[in-house]
Amino acid sequence: MTASAIDTPLAEASGLVLAYGNHVAMTPSDFTIPAHGVTAIIGPNGSGKSTLLNSLAGVLQPRSGSLKVLGKPASEAYRQVAYVMQSMALPEGTPITVKEVVAMGRYPTRGWFRPLTKSDRRRIAWAMDLLDVADLARRHLGELSGGQRQRVYVAQGLAQDHVAVLLDEPLTGLDLVSAKTIDDIIHSERERGHSVVLTTHDLDEARAADHVILMNGHVLASGPPEQVLSRRNLELAYGLGSLHDSDLVFIDDPEHGDGPAVDALNPPNPSRHNHRHHH
Amino acid sequence: MTPIDWLAEPFALGFQQRALIGGVIAAVMSSTVGVWLVLRGMSFFGDAFVHAVLPGIAAAMLFDFSPYLGAAIAAVVMVGGIEFIHRQTALKEDTAIGLLFVGMMALGVAIISKSPSFTGSLTSILFGDTFGVTWAAIQGEAVMAAIVVVGSLVLYRPLLGLSFSATKASTLGLKPRLTHALLLAMIALAVIGSFQAVGTLLVFGLLVGPPATAALLSRTVPRMIATSILLALAAVVVGLTLSYRLGTAGAATIALVAVGTFFVVMHATWLRRILARRRAARAETRAQEVTA
Repeated sequence: MTASAIDTPLAEASGLVLAYGNHVAMTPSDFTIPAHGVTAIIGPNGSGKSTLLNSLAGVLQPRSGSLKVLGKPASEAYRQVAYVMQSMALPEGTPITVKEVVAMGRYPTRGWFRPLTKSDRRRIAWAMDLLDVADLARRHLGELSGGQRQRVYVAQGLAQDHVAVLLDEPLTGLDLVSAKTIDDIIHSERERGHSVVLTTHDLDEARAADHVILMNGHVLASGPPEQVLSRRNLELAYGLGSLHDSDLVFIDDPEHGDGPAVDALNPPNPSRHNHRHHH
Repeated sequence: MTPIDWLAEPFALGFQQRALIGGVIAAVMSSTVGVWLVLRGMSFFGDAFVHAVLPGIAAAMLFDFSPYLGAAIAAVVMVGGIEFIHRQTALKEDTAIGLLFVGMMALGVAIISKSPSFTGSLTSILFGDTFGVTWAAIQGEAVMAAIVVVGSLVLYRPLLGLSFSATKASTLGLKPRLTHALLLAMIALAVIGSFQAVGTLLVFGLLVGPPATAALLSRTVPRMIATSILLALAAVVVGLTLSYRLGTAGAATIALVAVGTFFVVMHATWLRRILARRRAARAETRAQEVTA
């Protein structure tokens, strides 16, 4: 890791507009994502969370405005940014084993043609061990549960040379063991000085992050969780109807029809998924 | 007649040997690039594509220039047309493919209808002239096959990334748009290179038949490619033998064997699954009895 990579913010956006064809997914937004720590992107369904993550990964070019990732245009930062897909994403019909999926993490370093070296293989084995998927190495991606698949995708991200990891709803709908394993990885990445950006539906997860981006078609607020996740901001993001006088609110979630009940007004016990105070 | 003679007889004469060599080369290149076509879910595009080269070849025959050049121009028009419709309208890609499919096919038939030997030309382009393949055609076919096979193997990582997910491929620096364009070019080469040996329509049998069958039998893409090539080679040898014995058209019999094998393998794997399930159920009952 170079000194500039350590000091440069992960992302700096000004007047950033993101769109797919005629559909504008994010209207002009300004925000900065710090070089270290965990950043949570939270907002209702269709608020542009995944779109923003795609743009940080360099998959979606800005329609207008500017976006710098590690001081460069996002499309050039792929060598330093690992992007972890959602566990729901499954390439139907492609016969591919867990080991090969994880090995793909070495492609940005080795390019189209150069063969994998011993150190690449060590890195692949290390990532599989870390995510506890070494036993599944010869299994097919389609034969795994959602949680196992998500662990494989995270292992792929860790096999990649990176200073930042982007995770699209990494804990949504997972079994407890997989969620715990991935949560531990988020902490260890943070401790290694890497930047972790994740999208989430869970207010607790957002509260546990170092930095929060609240979205609703644009970046409504960006900063420390206690500042961003104020009652007023949440009302703005989710609409007045979703916050009641009672302490419980329901935030929509594509995976769970009725959504997780979260306490919007009184921050919960910080021990749950708390990225800042863990360890 | 010994069994060896029975097998060798269909390939005794020069034109039969050229048919075999032309078929084998078509089989190897089509079944290799066909794996990526099947994994990308581009079968409809492939089907449209083999129809779309028709006007190029027809125009080449009528105005006496290289059919390969004609087919290449038609291929570019087809891909460009699909992309143009896709960008200009909100229509889905399959509608654009369908429009170009029928439009190009109709143009091809219209051009051929101006030629004096209408039916003969149309049949030989669409269904191949397996037993009329010349050494010159085989040489051209071999060069294109070498490019397609080497390309399909050398581009393994970007093609695997693209089959996995275009988004993921992009974040791994695998340039999915460029890879997609290269894949289209390789499919075009396979179709153009094979049209004399097996015809533009029936090459589709080798493009999807062996790869689809191989998908049922393989757990990794490299194995799928190897299995696909072996199945395609078998389809050519068995197809030509059957064609000789039954007096049926060469290319059609090859395509029929390639597609027929898929159904046989599909039923065999289905049967194997059922038997395995029954065996497991029986073992479980026995285990319960022992415990009881």
